[in-house]
Amino acid sequence: MNPSKNTNTLARGIKRSGLRLFIFTSAWVGSTALLTFGPRLLWEYNVPVTVGAITLNVLAGVMMLFAFFRHLKTMDELQRQTHLEAMALTLGVTMIFTVIYGSLTTVQLLPETRPANILFVTGITYIVSVSRLWAGRTSE
Amino acid sequence: MKNRLKVLRAERDWTQADLANQLGVTRQTVNAIEKGKYDPSLPLAFKIAEVFGLPIEQIFSPARDA
Repeated sequence: MNPSKNTNTLARGIKRSGLRLFIFTSAWVGSTALLTFGPRLLWEYNVPVTVGAITLNVLAGVMMLFAFFRHLKTMDELQRQTHLEAMALTLGVTMIFTVIYGSLTTVQLLPETRPANILFVTGITYIVSVSRLWAGRTSE
Repeated sequence: MKNRLKVLRAERDWTQADLANQLGVTRQTVNAIEKGKYDPSLPLAFKIAEVFGLPIEQIFSPARDA
């Protein structure tokens, strides 16, 4: 067994898959911005171009998902378990928040709701969950 | 699950990083296993046994007898 080879392989793999994830996440964010602002600012609501932008957004999203899945498989088992538990927590919080947030307009507490706020809650929950779970297990 | 990782590592004068290198995991994972905050998977437990050259039952034991 070559010890340094093992460590380097893990570190290199995580770095490579992390870079791939960053690239596809950036592509997805960029294509989302294009889809949001493009019809009004760039192509004056031309339908075929908008359909093309939607297709691009979906493709980038799927690539991002695959990149994330690959990144997850590259991690060592404690990292992977931490992320999977954080995802379970995030799913639960997102479900609860979505139901409550969605009903706020029905009960006339909010004039309108924005889907982006749900994404915001999802992202924050995931980051906080990963941080807390990881810190709880690896504190010295 | 209890384990003797810390003792076995100290006997060999290995750091957590040395052991992590040999196992192909992060140092934090070794630390979490030593402190009982994480139970390793069966493949990792067998790898630990292989690295220390001991049967798996001499490294890991149930938290309390059933």
